[in-house]
Parts: sequence; structure tokens; C-alpha cells
Amino acid sequence: MELFQQIVVYIIVGLALVYLVGKFLLPRSLFSSKKRPKKVCGEDDCGCH
Amino acid sequence: MSKQINVALIGNPNTGKTSVFNQLTGLNQKVGNYPGITVEKKEGICKLPRGVKAHILDLPGTYSLNTTSLDESVAVELLLNKNAKDHPDVAIVISDVENLKRNLFLFTQIKDLKIPTILVINMADRMSRKGITLDIDLLEKKLDTKIALVSTRKKVGIDRLKELIADYKNLSVAPNVDTTVIAPEYFKSLRETFPNEDLYKLWLVITQDVNFMPLEKNLVKDSSSFNTKSKSELKRLQQKETIKRYQFINSILKETYKVDINAAKGLKATLDKILTHKIFGYLIFFVILLTIFQAIYDWSSIPMDFIDETFASASEWVKTTLPPGMLTNLIAEGILSGIGGIVIFIPQIAFLFLFISLLEESGYMSRVVFLMDRVMRPFGLSGKSVVPLISGTACAIPAVMATRTIENWKERLITILVTPFTTCSARLPVYLIIIALVIPEGRFFGLGYQALTLMLLYLIGFGAAIISAMVLNKVLTIKTRTFFVMEMPNYKLPLIKNVTYTVWEKTKSFVLGAGKIILAISIILWFLGSNGFTDKYVNAESIVENRIEKEGLSSYNQESIAYNLSIYQESLNDSIAKNVYHLAPEQLIDSTNQLKQTLLDKAKNQEIASYKLENSYIGNMGKAIEPLVKPLGYDWKIGIALITSFAAREVFVSTLATIYSVGSDEEDTIKNRMAAEVNADTKKPLFNLASGISLLLFYAFAMQCMSTLAIVKRETNSWRWPLAQLVFMSLFAYIVALVAYQILK
Repeated sequence: MELFQQIVVYIIVGLALVYLVGKFLLPRSLFSSKKRPKKVCGEDDCGCH
Repeated sequence: MSKQINVALIGNPNTGKTSVFNQLTGLNQKVGNYPGITVEKKEGICKLPRGVKAHILDLPGTYSLNTTSLDESVAVELLLNKNAKDHPDVAIVISDVENLKRNLFLFTQIKDLKIPTILVINMADRMSRKGITLDIDLLEKKLDTKIALVSTRKKVGIDRLKELIADYKNLSVAPNVDTTVIAPEYFKSLRETFPNEDLYKLWLVITQDVNFMPLEKNLVKDSSSFNTKSKSELKRLQQKETIKRYQFINSILKETYKVDINAAKGLKATLDKILTHKIFGYLIFFVILLTIFQAIYDWSSIPMDFIDETFASASEWVKTTLPPGMLTNLIAEGILSGIGGIVIFIPQIAFLFLFISLLEESGYMSRVVFLMDRVMRPFGLSGKSVVPLISGTACAIPAVMATRTIENWKERLITILVTPFTTCSARLPVYLIIIALVIPEGRFFGLGYQALTLMLLYLIGFGAAIISAMVLNKVLTIKTRTFFVMEMPNYKLPLIKNVTYTVWEKTKSFVLGAGKIILAISIILWFLGSNGFTDKYVNAESIVENRIEKEGLSSYNQESIAYNLSIYQESLNDSIAKNVYHLAPEQLIDSTNQLKQTLLDKAKNQEIASYKLENSYIGNMGKAIEPLVKPLGYDWKIGIALITSFAAREVFVSTLATIYSVGSDEEDTIKNRMAAEVNADTKKPLFNLASGISLLLFYAFAMQCMSTLAIVKRETNSWRWPLAQLVFMSLFAYIVALVAYQILK
């Protein structure tokens, strides 16, 4: 039972780590097939706000 | 087959442009996007008298031809580019009868482009209610155009409009305003350099900041005869043009547009007079704000306490019900506390957005923005920055989300970057405990030093936000221009459906957006705090047990146990004396021994937990950064708290509580323990005035909030800004804290 719990914990921690790395460190293009718009958000004319 | 003419519908937002479009085209319309951009393109076919067909294009709403957004540039590009497929044969400017003066500004600009232009005065049904009378014939003559008085609500005037479109060839294309008078020499040189171009069109191209994507600006081959002007000079000329146009409009409306004030005295006019009053307007706003914040704190505290208790009980239930082990600990201490850390903010966020939504829906927010714009502008902020800055005192996360109402990107970005300086509720636990430790309890003019310090910290936060905004306004070179044109919508009762939708959307966005990140960080932090690689961590239990056997418990725990036992004995003796209990002396000793053993076990477990934490991954990290935090007067334990509180500031107190093995998060207990901490080098109390002030200032300025960084990343769609924010705020906080400690030590 202890071993099973340990395995599950390592999986959860691993998933959390992968999620954070994917979210913050890897470029978004790796996860999305959508093309980035020409006008990046952060300009007056980005149309996002 | 008859020729199909191109018709462009253009007008200010909220003038009923789309209603006119719908009535002209009926079901013969399609909606798409302009090529390459996400601006909606609505077009349709309209059958006109005498077998003429019109291709109607509903252009995005714009206040003028001086564009500030992509939507507006689409409209302007189409009007300027004669080679464009949809370049209009005739332009229809839709105006609202109540805002004719503002709407005519755009009309005169289009008319000056020498495009046949029809003026539609919409919402004509409101004229009698608002006491408005119009001399249409004279207005047509003065504007040198044809006018259709329309009421889309009552379906009046559309037939006349169709007649006018069909006869567009009879429309005059003479300009309304001679722009060249604003700078005769400049326009003369412009004319000499570009003899074949329309002057006003050239002027518009020169003064645009937003690039029109399909329109290429070719280099001028020989510009020796053309004297260029600096950006500020061009802006000054543009202001002159605006004044000139409004002079023209005012002179016309003076003769043709009359408002019977007695008839117009509606609720809107009366409320506007009070709510935008130079003194009462600010007072009312201040009172509303106070009420909102009081309500947020008061109303949130009940569900927040409930959430807190529920998650604590859930955690306890998991620990007692599930088989002991790593997974149980992760669920109880990592996942549940992580989810709890997200869910606990829901009431504050929901209430804040409930109030913001109510203010927006009722039409009051537009008045606030108008009122505050003058105050905020010198600092590079807009009137709309007020709401996020004030919301920031509750939590920076919804505050950053609230910046979405600011259209101007530079102002919005500055507001996003400075909002985390305002004192959020997560800083309060840190402030309260440090102030209680290092600031004496004396009074100054009836006000306690501690309360004054807390107020000062709020003022420092707000001051830092305003000063940073001023600096950022100078430093950021984002091209932007602000034309503060504010629509003053009618007052109305908020629709419950709209309010509910807004609150739901914003709350969901927080929980699903930042929530996932907070949860992932909580899991990692728990893992780093619950595991270690050194022998000291692996053998923590035997090491601590041996130490306790040889040296006994730590002096703090010994004192704490002795204190708790004396309290228990006193209370027991008191109860026996009052005949509440009847205990034999042996029973009294047994009971006391039982409690003593429980306290000893608890203290031993706490010391083991503390030792394990010290030697865990995160403990080692704390020790690793100790050289960095030592000059600020902190030790490795505070270093750990600084690391963990990077997830959320309030974690600082709970981390120290764990490290100091207090086991209870009662402020007083933690306070006593922290007060007893001794600096290993100086042998003086660790939390003294110098280190305390240093810590307070560090937390006042540092970006110790992962969730805020995540939200900033999401709102700016780039890591550049949150990272810049993190580096700047952390460095600034470090330097201020360092200077404060070195001076005060």
C-alpha cells in the first residue's frame, strides 16, 4: 500500500512539474497547432481588449 | 443589368448603425472577417428604387478618422484607399440625435475626403421626449449634404434613405472645413510636393499612428520642397484641426439644433449633474467605494471562514480516514490546501465583480471614469485605472483582470504593472505579525504607532504604484494616442442575467486559469518540503529523539509545556474548589500526567517536523539563499518563508509557524515564538526594529505572488511583462529592505 501511494504521489508531482514547465518554459507552439495572429496581444490594435 | 454601388455605413459606436444596416439589407447579409485580421466584416445587398442595387458594408464603429485601434483603422483604410474593392461610392454617416455634435465631427472628416456622404440622424423618436427640435433643411444647406431622419425602432425614414442612396450622384463632394488654414505654410509645401494628391487625405495618412496593413507607405522620391514636422508639432496641428471642426459644428448647430431644457429635464440629466459634480461627484464615489470595500470584507469573511473550515475538516478527515502514507499526506497537506488556497479567494472575487458589474450595468461606471480621468492622466493612467487600483487592495488578481476595460494599451499595461504595489489582503497577515513584533504599542495624538505603521504601509504601496506609473509612462515607448471620448449611457436597472454572467465568467476564469498554476505549485512545494536527500532528513526521527534524550526538548517547548500544564492545573484546582469536579489526588496526578505526555509527544513531533523541514529540499534551498538574505537581517528560516511565500504572500506566516514548530497558527503564539528567536551572529532577537522594518518594506514592494504573475502573463499574453515586473519589484524590494536594515541596525 505504501509503495502504491508513493508511485501515485510521484506521478502527481511529475504531472504538476510537467504542467508548470509546459506552461511557463516551453514555447506555446509545441502545444498548439493554431497559428499565432500577426498582431500580437499587447498592442493597441491587437483586438484582444 | 444595373450597376451595383458600394455603400459604407460608418458612425460612432452606439448610434444604431447595425440597426440601420439590418433594415437596409434584411436577410441579405453575411458576416465574415477582414482578410488576415479578426475584425468582423458585415456586408449585405440592398434593393434601391429604380432598380439600383447597393452593396452595403457595415464598418466598425469609430469616433473619428484619427484611429486608435485596428477596428477603426479598417474603416479609415477603406475610405482612403480608392483602389480597395469595397471603396464606397457613397458613405452614410449614422448619428444619434442626442449626440449630434460629437457625431458630426466624423461626418465633416469624411465629407472632407470628397466622398459623397449622406447624414442619417437616428433615434428620431426620442426628439420630442428630449425636447429636441431640428431644422433639417437648414442643416442640409449648412452641411452641404442630404439628411435622412430615421427611427429604426419605429421603422421610419428608411425609404427616404434608400432614395438618397439611389440619387448619390447628386450629392455635393465639396469639403466642409478648410483644414489648410491651421498651418498654411505647411500645407502649401505639402501641395507642392504632392501636386496630384488630395491634401486632406495626405494629412490623415501623415498623422496616423496605427499602420494600415494593406496600405503601403511609399517613400517620397523628392521631398526637398516639403518641410516635415515633428510628432509633437503634428499633434498640435491635429488639435487645431479638432478645434476648427468643432467651431464649424457649433456654428451650425447653434442655428439648427435646439433643446428645450425644461422638456429635457429627465432623470439622466439630474443624476449626471450630481454624479459628475466637481465636489459631490468625488464625495459620492468615495462613499460608494467605502461601502463596496466594507461589503467585500464583511460579506466575504463569512463564506471565506466557511471555506477555510471546510477544507481544514476535509484535510483532517482525509488524514484520519485514508491509510497513512505519502498519498494521504499529499492529499491532506498539498492538494486540499492548494485547492483551498484557490477556492478561498472566490467570495472576494465574486463580490468584487458583482459590484463592478452592477456599477457598469447601471451606467455609473462611465461617470466615474469621466470624473477620475483628469486626476489620473498626469501619472500616465486613465480614469479607468481607478477601479483596478482600488480593487488591488483586496487582491491583485481580480484587479489585473479588471484592467480589461481600459482600451488604450499603454495605460492598461501601466495599470497592470503597478497594481501589485497596492496593499492586498494577502500582505495583511505578514504586516500584522511583524508590526506586532517590532513596533511599540505607544500612541501618537491618540493613534497607536502600530495602526499608524499599517496605514503608512498602505500609503507607501499606493505611492509606489503612482510613482511607478509616472516613471513607466516616461520609459515605455509604446506608440499610443488617447482621445478620451466617453459614451455616457443612459442609467438603467442592471439586468440580473448580465450581472450573473459577468460574475460567473470572471470567477470561472480565475479558478480555471490561475487556479491550476496555484495547485501545481502547492503540490511541488509540498513535495519539496516533505522530502529530502540528506542523511539528516532520512534519519531525522532518530537524530531528534537522541537529541531530546540527551539535551531534552528545546527551551521554547519546555516553557510552553510548563505554561500549558500550569494553566490546566489552575483550572482543574479551581473547578475542584467550586465542586464542579470531584477528583481524588491520584486522579488529579494521572490526569495531569496524561496531558503532559500528550504535550510531550506533540512537542517531539513538532521538533521532528521542524528538523525534517530544515533538512528537506526546501530547507536546503533556504540555507542556500541564506547568504543572500543575511544582509537584510534574515536567517535561513525566513529565507524558506520567502521562497514558499513566492506562491502567495500569506504563506509566509504559515511557513514560519511550521518552521518554529508552533503547531498552531494563533497569532500570539507565533508572535511569542518569533520574539524568542535569536540571531545566531549577533545573539540579539532576530525580529528587531531593523529586520522587522526591512521585512515590512520587502513585502510592501516585492512581487511575492505567483498567481498575480500568472494572471499578468495571461492578460498581456507574454512572459516579458510579468518577468520584468518580477525582476524590477524584487530588486527594488531587496534594495529598499537592505538600505533600511543597514541604516537601522
